[in-house]
Amino acid sequence: MKIQFILNGMPAETEAPQDKTLLNVLRENFGLTGTKEGCNVGECGACSVLIDGRLVNSCLTLAAQASGHNIVTIEGVHLPDGSPNDLQQAFIEYGAVQCGFCTPGMVLAGEALLAQNPQPTRQDIRTAIAGNLCRCTGYQQIVDAIQSTAQNRQEKKGHA
Amino acid sequence: MGQYEYNRAASVSEAVVLLNEPGLKSRALAGGTDILLQLRHDPRYCDRLVDISQIPELHRIELKDGWVHIGAAATFNEVLNSPIIKATARVLEQACITVGAVQIRNMGTLGGNVVNAAACADSLPALICLDAVAHFLTSAGEQLLPVTQFVSAPNKTLLPSGALLTSLRYPVPTSGCRSAFIKLGRRNAMAISRLTVAALGCLDEQNRIVEARLVTGSATPHIERLTVVEQSLIGKQPSAELFHSAAKITVDEMIRLAGYRWSSEYKVPALTAMTERVLTQVFIWDEVQ
Amino acid sequence: MPEFQFIGKPTDRVDAMEKVLGSAKYVGDYALPNMLVARTLRSTLPHARILKVDVSAALKIPGVVAAITCEDFVDHSRFGYPISDMFMLAYLRVRYAGDGIVSLAAENEDALDRGLKAIQVDLEELPGVFDPMTALDPATTIVSEHSRDATEDPRGNLLMHYIVRKGDPQRELALCPVTLEEDYSTMHQEHAYLETEGVLAVPVPEKNGVTVYAPCQSPFINRGNLVRTLGLSEENIRVIQPHVGGAFGGKDDLMYQISGQAAKLALITGRPVKMILSREESMIASYKRDAMQMHVQLGADADGKLRASKIHATVDSGAYSSITPFTAWRSTIHAMGPYRYDACHVDTDAVYTNNGYAGAFRGFGNTEVCFALEQAMDELALKLKIDPIELRLKNCLRPGDTTPHGQPLGDDVSLAECLEQVRKISDWKHKHTDYSRVAAKPLIPGEFRRGIGVAAVFHGMSLGAEGEDFAVGTLEINQDLSITLTSGLTDYGTGSRTVFTLIAAEMLGLNPERFSMPRPDTDQSFDSGPTVASRATVLGGNATRVAAEKLGLQLNQSAADLLECKVEEITRHGELFISPKEEPVSFEEVVNHAREMGLTLTSRGRWSPPKIHWSMETGQGKPYFAYHFGAQVAEVLVDTGTGKVEVTGFWAVNNTGTVIFPQGAFGQLYGGITQGLGYALMERVDYDNGYIQATNFDEYLIPTALDVPDIVGAFVEKTFSSGPYGAKNLGEPGLVPAAPAILNAITNATGRRIRSLPANLERVLLGKDLRKEGSSTACKLGLK
Repeated sequence: MKIQFILNGMPAETEAPQDKTLLNVLRENFGLTGTKEGCNVGECGACSVLIDGRLVNSCLTLAAQASGHNIVTIEGVHLPDGSPNDLQQAFIEYGAVQCGFCTPGMVLAGEALLAQNPQPTRQDIRTAIAGNLCRCTGYQQIVDAIQSTAQNRQEKKGHA
Repeated sequence: MGQYEYNRAASVSEAVVLLNEPGLKSRALAGGTDILLQLRHDPRYCDRLVDISQIPELHRIELKDGWVHIGAAATFNEVLNSPIIKATARVLEQACITVGAVQIRNMGTLGGNVVNAAACADSLPALICLDAVAHFLTSAGEQLLPVTQFVSAPNKTLLPSGALLTSLRYPVPTSGCRSAFIKLGRRNAMAISRLTVAALGCLDEQNRIVEARLVTGSATPHIERLTVVEQSLIGKQPSAELFHSAAKITVDEMIRLAGYRWSSEYKVPALTAMTERVLTQVFIWDEVQ
Repeated sequence: MPEFQFIGKPTDRVDAMEKVLGSAKYVGDYALPNMLVARTLRSTLPHARILKVDVSAALKIPGVVAAITCEDFVDHSRFGYPISDMFMLAYLRVRYAGDGIVSLAAENEDALDRGLKAIQVDLEELPGVFDPMTALDPATTIVSEHSRDATEDPRGNLLMHYIVRKGDPQRELALCPVTLEEDYSTMHQEHAYLETEGVLAVPVPEKNGVTVYAPCQSPFINRGNLVRTLGLSEENIRVIQPHVGGAFGGKDDLMYQISGQAAKLALITGRPVKMILSREESMIASYKRDAMQMHVQLGADADGKLRASKIHATVDSGAYSSITPFTAWRSTIHAMGPYRYDACHVDTDAVYTNNGYAGAFRGFGNTEVCFALEQAMDELALKLKIDPIELRLKNCLRPGDTTPHGQPLGDDVSLAECLEQVRKISDWKHKHTDYSRVAAKPLIPGEFRRGIGVAAVFHGMSLGAEGEDFAVGTLEINQDLSITLTSGLTDYGTGSRTVFTLIAAEMLGLNPERFSMPRPDTDQSFDSGPTVASRATVLGGNATRVAAEKLGLQLNQSAADLLECKVEEITRHGELFISPKEEPVSFEEVVNHAREMGLTLTSRGRWSPPKIHWSMETGQGKPYFAYHFGAQVAEVLVDTGTGKVEVTGFWAVNNTGTVIFPQGAFGQLYGGITQGLGYALMERVDYDNGYIQATNFDEYLIPTALDVPDIVGAFVEKTFSSGPYGAKNLGEPGLVPAAPAILNAITNATGRRIRSLPANLERVLLGKDLRKEGSSTACKLGLK
C-alpha cells in the first residue's frame, strides 16, 4: 500500500505492506537508521519518533497509521547547516551520551517535553524520559542536558 | 499485502461497515499498543484492522446533561489533560497518569484499554468507580452496558463481533465528592500494575460519609465496586480505624472473589495499606502522599 | 596535583556528535547490495542429545540459500578460552534452552521464517541439572564434557575450585566473642544493553576470506576464534567493531558464535550475511552474570577488630565455562572484602548446570561477593553495636598493609579517605542515628521509613594473575597534520576513545581535535587482549602514553634540529616548540622538517603491568598489581505497607586516581550505580527447569529515569603511580557496592535483613519471595 507523510519537513512517500511498522519503514524504505529497534514491544523507547509533535513508539505504530501525518525523526532535529541544535549540543557537553543507542529517542523525548513545557522541573524531565530506557548513563547527565537547554531557551526568549 | 489488512475509517458508520464484512475477522485499531503485540504473537488474530483513530467524534470529551462523554479513541494523554476530567474525575486523571510512559499515553486509548480488558488494566477500576457505561455500535444500532458488566472476565468483553465501542460515559459525581486512584508497580514507570485501588466519596455537613465507592484492580478476576466495603462506610465519620476495618473487608472480598492464590500472601497486606491510603485521600486529605 | 592542559578538563566525548545526530552506524544499520539475512535455530530443550539434523526441506524453500551446522567448521566448531568447551553451533548435545543448532541464510525475513520452520531436528531429551547446589552430587547428570585437557580424574560438573588460605579461621572463629554465620544469594543478571547482538559478514574473495563487522568487545579474540574454526589464517580474516550499543561485558561469547555463523554463511554463499538478534532471542541465548550462593562466617573481637573470615561460594556457570574461570577467581580473591584478618579461608566452586550460561558482566565476580560480604559486615556491626562506617574504618586496608592473600600494599590505598568523605557528604552520622532510632520503634502498619546504608569496595585492576596482561597503541601523523590513534582496547560507550585521545594530546601538547581513532579493526590496531575488567584506562592509556612519548621524541628531535639546539632544551607553549632563545616553530613546521629528516612520524607503544603471581595450590600470592577502592552510601524510603523501596539519595566516593575525562568518569559512575540499583531492587532472571522466564523488557525490569535519584559522585584523586597521568580504572567499581549499600539501607529502615536478590516488593514486605509457577512458554515463544 502507498504510505505518504511529511517526513522531517518534506513530503515523502513509499510502498510498504500494510502490516509493516513505521520503525521498519523509516529504517528500510527511507534509510533513516537513526531510529533504533531495542525491543520491538514498545518498552524501551529506542524507536521513539514524533507524530504531529507527540512522542510515540514507532515499533508499535503501523506505517499505515502514520500516513497523512507529520513525522519527525532524529535526522530532522539538527540545524539547517547540519550542525547539532542546542539540545543535541547540550547532550554532548553534559556527557549525556555514552553508547549512544538510546540517544536519538532521548533527544526527541527532550524536544517533545520542551515544546509542551518550557520550564520543566527535574521531576518533569524524568517523567518525560521515563519511557526511554538507558543502560549506560544512569540518566542524570541527560536530565542535566535537557534542563540546561530549557533554561537557555527561556533566557533567549527573555532577550528577544 | 502483509499478514493482515489495514483500513482507515473516516466515520463511525464507515467503521461499522468495515468491521462487519462477512468472512473477515476484523478489529478496531485505535492506538495499537495492545493489538499490534497480539498480532505479533498470533498473526491470525485478525484479518483486518480498522483504524478509528482519525474519527474526530471518537476523541471528543464533553460534558452534557450531567454526563461526561469520552470518545473511545481518546488517548490517555487527551483524557488526563482534559479540564472536564480534572474537574469531575480525579480518579480517572490519576489512573491515566500512571499508565506506561509518555509514548504509551500518547498512543494508547481509553477504549482500547477497556476492550483489551486486561485484569491489570489501569483505566478499568477508575471507570467502574465512576459507574461508567460503555456505548457500542453494532449494525443493528447502539447498545450500552455498564463497564463493570461489559468487561466480563480477564481479557473478555461482551462486545459483539463486528461492534465498535464508541464512547464511555459516566455521570458527573455530586458536587463536593472527591476521588483518588493509587497504583502499585514494581518500578515507577512502564510498570504493569501489581495492584490498584480507585475510590470516590462525599461527606455531609456533619462530616459523615454519604457516598462511598471502592474498586480494586489486579486483585480479582472481575472488576467491580465492592459494595460490602462501601456499605461499611456509609453514615460513619472518617477515621483511621474506620478505614482499617474497611480495608480488612476489602481484602476479605478479594479472597472471596479470587480465591487464596500464590500472590495472596503479598496482596492481603499490600491491598490493606493501599485501601487505607486511598480512603484517607478521598475523605481526609487532598494531597497525594 | 599538576596542572594539565587537557587531562581532567571538560571535554566532549570524541564520538558524541554522530550519536546525537543519529548518524552513528551500529551493525543493524548497515545494508549492502546482495545481502542475505540469517538466523540460528536454537534448542527449546535445556539438555538433549542431537540425534539428527535434516535441513533438506529448508533448503528447498524458495529464498533459502544456505544452512550450516557444527560440521561446517573445523573440529566441530569448537572454541573458547580458557576452556574450549563451546561450539559455534552445538555438537552432539545442546546444553541450555537457547543453544544454537543450525544457522540459515535467506534472501529475506519471510523465507528465513519458513526455512527455519522446515528444519527437522531430532532431539533426545536428557535429564537437566538446574540447581547449582546439587550439581556436584554424585548421582547428578554430567553437563560438562571433559575438556580436551582433562586429566584421568573426571571432575563431573565441577568447573573450577579456587581457594584463599591464610591461617586457621576455624580456630579463630571459635575464640571470637562475636561471630556471624549467614547465607546470601544472588541471581543471574541480564546485561540489557539497548542494542542486541548482531553481525554483518562480508566475503572478500581477493583475500579468500571475510570481513566481519561485529560489536564484540574484543575484535582480536573474535578473529582468533574465526581463524581456528574456519580453518583460515589471520590474513584472511578482518574484524571491525562498529559503534556498540552497550556491552557491560556481555558482547563476547555469543558475539563470537554469531560471528562464526555469519562468516561461514558468507564464505559459502559468496554474499554478505547479516544476522541481528531479536530482544527475545538475545535474552534467551546470551550469557548472564552468574548466580551465586555464599556462606559467610565472620569473627571479631568485642571492640570490632576483625579476626577471621571463612567463606564458601557456589557459582552457577550454567551450560558452558565461558569466562567463569576468571570471574570465579576474582570472586574468590575479593570475597573477604577490603579488610585485614588474622585468618581467612575462601573456597569457591564453579559448577556446570543446564541453566543459561554465565560470563563476564561488569564487576566480573566481585559484584556478587561484595553483596554478601558488605551485608555481613553490617550484620556484624549491629551485633557489635558499632556504627557500620566505624567498623569499616577500623578494619579497612590502609597503605602498607598486607592483604589476606599475602600481598603487601603500597601507598595508593585510599579506602579510609573514601569512607570518611562519603560519610561527610551523605550526612551519615546524624541520619544513621535518627533512622536507627526510628527502626527500633514498633512499626505502624503502612508507615514510610527512611534508612541509610554503606558499602565499601576494592576491585583489582585488569586481568590480574588471570592472564597475560598487556596493551598496544599506535600513533601516526598524517599528511594533513591530523593524527591517527589506534588501540587494541575498544570503547563500547565507556569513553576509552576519549581517554586515549586526551592522554595522547596531553603528552604531545597538541589539541585533542587533531586526533582521530578509526573504528577498532584487526587490520589496523594491535592485539591488546580483551576489553574487560576495567583494563582500558590503565593498560590502554599507558600504551597510548608510551606511543605518545616515542612520537613526542621524534617531534622534539625535529624541532631541535630546526632550532639548532639540544632536544632537552626544547620547551613547549600550546602547540609551539620553543628554543632556549625563545624562537618558536609551529607544529606544521616541525612535522615538515621531520619528514625531510626521514623520521617516520609513527610510533607504537606497548605496556604491561608489573609481574604478579598467584598460587592455586597455596591460595596466596599477589593477585593484582593494584586495586581501586571506593565507598558508597544509599538512602532509601521504604513503604512498609507495600514493600516498595525508593532510593532517595546516593553518594559515591571512588579513588580513581587522576580523572582524565570528567563527564565520562561521572557517567560511568552514575551508570554503574543505576545497574546496581536494578540488581538490588527489580531485576530478576529466573530459570525454571532451565527455561528463562523473562524474555523482554516488559518482564525484565531495569530502572527508568523515575527510579534513580540524583547521585552525588566524588573522586579521591590521589594519583596512582602506575597509571597514565596517575589514573586508575573506573568502569566496574561504580556498580559493585551499590546493591549492598541499598540493602543495608533497607535494613536500617525496617530492622529486617534481606539476604537474597532482588529485594523486591514481596521480600521487603514479607521477608520472602513469592512466585507463580514458571513455564517454558515465554522461552519457546521467543525462539519461534
